[in-house]
Amino acid sequence: MKEKNVEIISVAQDTGGVKDAGKWITDAKATYTVLIDQEHLISKLYHMVNVPTGVWINEQGRIVRPNEVAFIDDRFRKFTDLDSAPYIDALKDWAEKGDKSVYVMSEERLRAKLAPPDPNMALAAAEFGLGEQLYKSGHGAEAIPHFKEAQRLNPKSWNYKRQAYALSSEKDYGTTFLEEVQKAGGSKVYYAPPELPKASDAGNKKP
Amino acid sequence: MKARSSSGILLSLVLFTLPAVGKEIRATVVYDDKATEINPAQTQDGTDQLWVTTHDLTRATRFEVKPQGICRDELCFPLPKARKQEFLEKKPGASDELFNLTAFASLVHQPVAHDVATSTWYFGLRSDQQQGLASLRAPDFTLPDMDGKMHSLSDFRGKKVFLVTWASW
Repeated sequence: MKEKNVEIISVAQDTGGVKDAGKWITDAKATYTVLIDQEHLISKLYHMVNVPTGVWINEQGRIVRPNEVAFIDDRFRKFTDLDSAPYIDALKDWAEKGDKSVYVMSEERLRAKLAPPDPNMALAAAEFGLGEQLYKSGHGAEAIPHFKEAQRLNPKSWNYKRQAYALSSEKDYGTTFLEEVQKAGGSKVYYAPPELPKASDAGNKKP
Repeated sequence: MKARSSSGILLSLVLFTLPAVGKEIRATVVYDDKATEINPAQTQDGTDQLWVTTHDLTRATRFEVKPQGICRDELCFPLPKARKQEFLEKKPGASDELFNLTAFASLVHQPVAHDVATSTWYFGLRSDQQQGLASLRAPDFTLPDMDGKMHSLSDFRGKKVFLVTWASW
């Protein structure tokens, strides 16, 4: 995807860094900015719980649409059952109209969505960070209880589950990814469709 | 008069029952996702408390003890006057004061995770680092691309940014 009025920053949440993410980046031949985030810093700062998660940021550095499932192609359509077209159209509308776009959220709605995390989520992020640190310093076995604790404290984070499984094995956690998706309520919960206003509302937004 | 004598008793009780410094250990401190080896640090058995010298405090966190508080660049956290001894302690004969990094974390609402087996302490985001979202400002970050070149969100000011995460897993 290429949109001339919007800069795309695509960030890999990969503890393994270039070793794990590099091949994907080389293959994608991206013309936009692709960054490597070994410590999942973006997920921590923005309280993200899954990938792909998108955030829209305006010219003044202000968030105008917070975390949501953000597919910009249909590579995973079979699993997600999500059509990426409405989201791409919404992005294009914003690219053209900026803050006047119907897809830009009101301040009130943004504030409700950006409420600070409860202390358990902050602690979960620390347990996950400790697990990553232990893994990277060659203490993979010691990392597992801390990854488990992160998953327990913030059960909504898929990042904590999937990154941990990828670093060792689902067996260490006594479950499988698909079982976890089923338990949560299926792929519609795993990838909740973005809440976009209906196309007929577009253009009717009061200034 | 009565009040004064009881506070004197309280003070001596505190000094007697709270030896800030216990066992010398080797510790790994992870702060801002950067690991620093500290040897020796001090802990009390059966607790997660971690004391480091003020020199090691700066080495591991870039925070310094100043008259106005615990400071790094423009950021400064004053220590509550009445509770100073919870954070700082000078052992007779020691060249450096000891600083309680875990008590400081609790003061600034910073989550701490501790691994006993490897003696590792991980310090998460402080509450001041989490305020960005409430103000609706997009938190800034600096990360490398595949060639190691660093990019910050603030480099893109003046442009619309679509920030999107993904992962190989």
